[in-house]
Amino acid sequence: MTATALAIVHGLVAVALLGAISHQALAAWAPAVGRHGSFLRRFRAVPADAFANAIVAFYVISTVLGGILYLYYRIDVSPLLENESRWEAIGLFDIKEHFTAIGLALLPAYWVCWRRPRGGESPLTRAMLTSTLAFIVWWSFLIGHVTNNIRGFGT
Amino acid sequence: MTSSQAFRRFAFGFGAGFAVLYVLARAQHLALFTVFPTLGIVLPGPQRGQETALFHLPAMHWYGWMATAALGALVLGLVAAALPERWARPMLLGSWLVPIFAMVACVYLTMPWFRL
Repeated sequence: MTATALAIVHGLVAVALLGAISHQALAAWAPAVGRHGSFLRRFRAVPADAFANAIVAFYVISTVLGGILYLYYRIDVSPLLENESRWEAIGLFDIKEHFTAIGLALLPAYWVCWRRPRGGESPLTRAMLTSTLAFIVWWSFLIGHVTNNIRGFGT
Repeated sequence: MTSSQAFRRFAFGFGAGFAVLYVLARAQHLALFTVFPTLGIVLPGPQRGQETALFHLPAMHWYGWMATAALGALVLGLVAAALPERWARPMLLGSWLVPIFAMVACVYLTMPWFRL
């Protein structure tokens, strides 16, 4: 029951993080002025700087929740995946763990790049750090979702 | 302003340093501690082999790898913060390039799962 509740909260935080980082990553590469035009243009026309603190907070909360859930995964889910020889699912989940850890350590550099006033960081560095984090968040979200579908808690 | 620039160098050094050290910790199995979730105990160091085999219990090293890398990255970050500002430019490049290479290395280290 606790694991299920945690997994739901983890998922909700991840959705918020996914939305925020996607907006910011696109805005970092191709910022748009004004809120008129196509959907893609309006998607990019966000105050990307203002997202940074929230993204750091969401990432940390999501990782802490994921770190707790990982204990349940290792006891309840991973052995079942091994018994069913779903090695690729275990491998993909392992990659998610590694990416998440590397992303967590990137947060200080990411935060420095988005703070005001700018400290001389190039737009390329800002865009690459944001895109790397966005990739990690998307990967983690999708693999977590797929793993839960294969053998979620309570199945 | 000076402390702000020092923190900037620390942040870039920490991120890149963590990425490299995490890959090393994962590849060389350098976990600072090992968690046995079914027993609810944490033992120091990378517990492998005979002891773990006797327990017949799942051992978790991820937290230990992160702790190892974080500790080393903290030192590297402090060294980066102490460096002159002219080192900040290569650090900028390394701050995103090194983690990307580290992620590729992590995928490579995970490949054995896909060959089973």
